[in-house]
Amino acid sequence: MAETKTIAQPRPPEPDLEAAVSLPWHHRLNVLNVSLVVFLLMVLSSAGVLRGSGRDLDYFANTKRFLGNFFPPDFSVAGQTMIGLWETFQMAVMATAFAIILSIPIAIAGARTLSPAWLVFLARMLMNGIRTIPSLIWALIAVAVVGPNTLAGVIGLTFYSIGYLGKFFSDAFESVDVDVAKALRALGARTIQAFQYGLWPHAKPLVWSYSLWMLEYNIRSAAIIGYVGAGGVGLQLYTYQEYYQWNKFATVLLFILALVSILDFLGERIRKQIVPKAVGRQS
Amino acid sequence: MVALSQSAPPRTSDEPSHLAIEDLGFQRNGKWLFRHLTWRVPRGSIIAIVGPSGVGKSSLLSCLAGLVKPTEGKLTFCCNAGCFHDAPDYQKRVGIIFQNFLLAQNSSLLRNVTAGRLGRYPWWRTLIHMPRADKLEAVRLLIDLGLGDYVHRRAADISGGEQQRAAIARALFQEPELLLADEPVSNLDAYLCGRVLGILRQQAHEQKRTVMCVLHDAALVERFADYAISLDPMSPENWRVRKVNAAAA
Repeated sequence: MAETKTIAQPRPPEPDLEAAVSLPWHHRLNVLNVSLVVFLLMVLSSAGVLRGSGRDLDYFANTKRFLGNFFPPDFSVAGQTMIGLWETFQMAVMATAFAIILSIPIAIAGARTLSPAWLVFLARMLMNGIRTIPSLIWALIAVAVVGPNTLAGVIGLTFYSIGYLGKFFSDAFESVDVDVAKALRALGARTIQAFQYGLWPHAKPLVWSYSLWMLEYNIRSAAIIGYVGAGGVGLQLYTYQEYYQWNKFATVLLFILALVSILDFLGERIRKQIVPKAVGRQS
Repeated sequence: MVALSQSAPPRTSDEPSHLAIEDLGFQRNGKWLFRHLTWRVPRGSIIAIVGPSGVGKSSLLSCLAGLVKPTEGKLTFCCNAGCFHDAPDYQKRVGIIFQNFLLAQNSSLLRNVTAGRLGRYPWWRTLIHMPRADKLEAVRLLIDLGLGDYVHRRAADISGGEQQRAAIARALFQEPELLLADEPVSNLDAYLCGRVLGILRQQAHEQKRTVMCVLHDAALVERFADYAISLDPMSPENWRVRKVNAAAA
């Protein structure tokens, strides 16, 4: 009977679990973590702005006293507010309409899939420049040009909206597959026809969704730009604030809140219906 | 079936060629897919392009359509008016059925099909909608292809086979002189295959439209094609053109 021998196998070295489980600190230096740390440092270095006036104020009592002026709201100005709000609504609608029309060519120029690089650069620079200036400043410029009226509001909001809609529309055009439009070009369609029949049907739901969002946004903005004389309900707000008529001010705010809430609700419902249709990309 | 010589393309005096392919070659990623392809394509015939996957059938079709510049060789198109056009100048006279259909998914079938005739009109004529006569004709074509119930339905809401038929309808609606089809019946059942290829054959013979299509099914090639071009994956110069029995039918 053969004798069996057990040969001792050399044991593999024990893995260093401690070293394996921990990651060296410099391996965590990705953009996310670094920017997070930088932000935390910025927060710490900005704490000085929380000092306030330095006076011994009772913030709670101040808030209570100020907000107390709002109640009860004075509904005697409801009729006047409705007229102002309607004017604000009209300003926002007109500004959104003009902005949609003007944004589409700028957005086409700014879409990387549709335009040459130099034109994309110029269009994006233009849109960035427009976005940099707040709506209130645009309204101030417009008031200086056409005087303190609703036209100034429309002009101010139009320019402000072009910066945003141009960017959104560009992104919408870029998200759409251009192969259908190219196919139509191959079938003899002209460039405009290929865009209209091949690309636009896909981009349209997104473009309309962004436009509705802009309309909602413009109604909120239109209420404010009246402060610089650009018409609408903002002028009323400014007057009541100047004369410390806070209960009338509250009425206007309530009406704005009601209008914006209704439009938010409707806009969201419409967007929910139309945006899934934008997901009709070619496989 | 009759195999044709590569060196002597068929020329008959009573059958003027529609497309003259001269010494055509195409290279992709440094590899020749086909070379020295020379043939005078007879007007009003249906030609099957056959060969295994990846051999270059779709590339050949793209070259013929003028969508891709061939690496070498020349294409001369003789239009119905008797004028000669080099590639890609004849592109507007070519209809294409794309392998992945390329329909506007958010548009109705009617709008997709009528888009086949966009090239006939200036842009401002089609800005609001296509002419009514075109719409009526497009509906008739959709009904012929069994899509009568889906005229106003979005392309995204119908099946792959139905989309394929819509793509065929768009190409037919264009009434091109040369119709190029990349696997036009790949998603269709036997009945619809026969119906669609029957329509293409009818278009070729009655309307004198030359139809060139990539086909995988040998039985369909024998049944519907007049000629077959086969490409060889091993030797790019070993292409063959043969006359198919169906031509006699």
